[in-house]
Amino acid sequence: MTIAVDTHAKTFKRGLAKAALLGSVLGAGFFAGLSAASAQTITVWSGYPEMAPFYEHVAEGMKASHPDLTVKVEAIALREHEKRIALGLTSGSAGPLVIELPGSTASRYIENELLPAAPDDVAAFVKDPANFGPFFIDAVSKDGTVYGVPLFRGQGSLFYNTDMFEAAGLTEPPKTMEEYTQYAEKLTQRDANGNPTVSGWSMRLSGGGQGIAEKFWINLFQYGGNVLVQDANGKWKADYANEAGRKALKQYLDNVHVAKTVTPEMPADAEAFERGQTAMFIRESWVIGDIAAKAPDLNYATAPLPRGSIALPTNLYVSAEGDDAKVAWEFTEAANSPENLVWLLQNVGWLPNRSGVDYSVVTDKVPAFGAFVNYPEGYEFFTLPAIGPIEEVLTRLAAQLTNAFGNASLANDDAAIDAFLKTASDETNQILAREDLLAQ
Amino acid sequence: MLTRKRWIFAMLAILPTLAIFAWVRMYPIADTLRLSLHKWDILSKKKPFIGLANFQELMGDRLFQEALLNTTIIAFGVLIITIPSAMVIAALIFHRTRSRFAGFYETAVFIPHVVSLVPAAMAWKWIFDARLGPLNAFLGLFGIQPQAWLFDPVLSVVCVIVLCSWQALGYAVLIYIVGFKSLPVSLYEAAKLDGASGPQSFWFLSIPMLKPITLYVSVVTLVSGFNVYAQAFVLASDAQGAPGRQVRVLVLDMLENSFRNYRVGYAASEAVVLLAIVLVLTLIQFTLLREKGGRS
Repeated sequence: MTIAVDTHAKTFKRGLAKAALLGSVLGAGFFAGLSAASAQTITVWSGYPEMAPFYEHVAEGMKASHPDLTVKVEAIALREHEKRIALGLTSGSAGPLVIELPGSTASRYIENELLPAAPDDVAAFVKDPANFGPFFIDAVSKDGTVYGVPLFRGQGSLFYNTDMFEAAGLTEPPKTMEEYTQYAEKLTQRDANGNPTVSGWSMRLSGGGQGIAEKFWINLFQYGGNVLVQDANGKWKADYANEAGRKALKQYLDNVHVAKTVTPEMPADAEAFERGQTAMFIRESWVIGDIAAKAPDLNYATAPLPRGSIALPTNLYVSAEGDDAKVAWEFTEAANSPENLVWLLQNVGWLPNRSGVDYSVVTDKVPAFGAFVNYPEGYEFFTLPAIGPIEEVLTRLAAQLTNAFGNASLANDDAAIDAFLKTASDETNQILAREDLLAQ
Repeated sequence: MLTRKRWIFAMLAILPTLAIFAWVRMYPIADTLRLSLHKWDILSKKKPFIGLANFQELMGDRLFQEALLNTTIIAFGVLIITIPSAMVIAALIFHRTRSRFAGFYETAVFIPHVVSLVPAAMAWKWIFDARLGPLNAFLGLFGIQPQAWLFDPVLSVVCVIVLCSWQALGYAVLIYIVGFKSLPVSLYEAAKLDGASGPQSFWFLSIPMLKPITLYVSVVTLVSGFNVYAQAFVLASDAQGAPGRQVRVLVLDMLENSFRNYRVGYAASEAVVLLAIVLVLTLIQFTLLREKGGRS
């Protein structure tokens, strides 16, 4: 009997210990869940991987006022970012989001009620003329209602290698588009067979997406043309099947097929510039931060373009409800604090849109920013129209241009160039007509 | 013949699998067919019915025609390279079965099929590089000028075909090896007694008897070829420092129309056309290869 009782007691004690352990685990899980429920998490979606450190910096700065806030930054390549937004917002499965989007793309989401209007305090912040100029306020508004907060813009300028310029006997940057080709010929370095080894002027000649069309538009703009123009009724039409378009396209063809200062297979863009594989190219200010990180010893300078530049505002929008929306909007405002914007300019290089902030601590130290902030009087800007089919227009034009750039037979044939531009602009107008946006 | 009870049990047993198959495979196909008759920008709640307007527009779409042409060339190019090559390699490996290197040969041929696509395509992108690629360096030894493999409109398609064939070959070889193993040895012995050489046995015995295998491999290879996308995308990746000519293929055109141009209904009509083409080609293959097999 005594043995049975002892065994029973041991079994009971073991069972009690197990129950206590299980209770502790469950209790810990319960309290952890409670803590998690009180903590907030927002996710920032960006299409520029170089912006991730900036958003993390903003999140770090918010810890004092929001100790329980967790900010997850998910920055991926731009084309994948666009797909992610299209699927994430329509499925409604993404959770509270701060989304980085150009205004031209955001208009679709606003029209389909997928992005809510900004709260009154945020709208007042945006509409304050001391904070943002009319161009940036319009970029985040629709019919007078504010939907987002401006953050940065892409604005093109010329980057040029000062060592190569000096070696070629060039003392200042080109001032006209004609000079761009002349400079390119002088700057091109060639091998014994005459093939270019270092391009005189790196041009966007291939690759997918609409970038080719955007870069073409920048050059076209210098000649007085535009891919799309708006009429008094708010409708649009193609405007590049003309002398400006011919000059812009001819310049590409002359450089590729006649002067051979650049070829499609040559290394291109910022990477080529940083490696000394090209003497000059046109790009946005983020390149300054990229050069500082990857080629700090590169001797280069920047210069404004002959007539003006593209300015593509990128803004922050919020897709969230309740308390999550409140803290998400606070994040967008925190991103626009003077300290954070100076950090953005200094460490990433994209140009902040907010006025009334002293950026001289950065621009004085890095003269390359000069071309982006100190431009001549009368310098003009254009941006992508906030119309639904803008991506389709530019993507299809890019596909046409890729074929044209590779077509040597167009090079010295103005009639063929005109015919090509007519075909391309007819396609552009068909797209506009389909969406009832074509100007008569 | 199953009893009623067992029949019911069998149906209940496979019902979950059928349900998953219907949900994952059949429902998307049916919904794509439905979407192709509507106008939808992926964002709007409205999907107005527009009948065959998407298909009418598709017929005149220059980019779609380019994508269809490129995809067809790539698919048939891969088929023409893969089938005969796989058959020959499988025959060589099979006839070296007793060799201690047989396992190595099989593994070596199959590795490209299991290697992850993106790093493989990046490696081929380097091989095809116009300036630094080993392919041009090799051709230079024979006095051939460096070619812009990834930029020329024709050569860039060739590059995609080479990459796809390289990947498809391993799987095809493995299937053919299984086929060779199932062939009756007595026929070859009889042919040998009649004085047939190895190549003659291969041509007059192996090829006809492997018709069912060829049918399966050709269908799989052709369908896979028509669905080419990642290879074309990576070889001409959007990295701006090292651009390439983006070979426009059907899947890429669909993705572009869906997520860049916000025209899902239009992209669905492309998918329907692709489905129809693949179905027709598969039927033709079945007809040609089965009919001849039946007669022999």
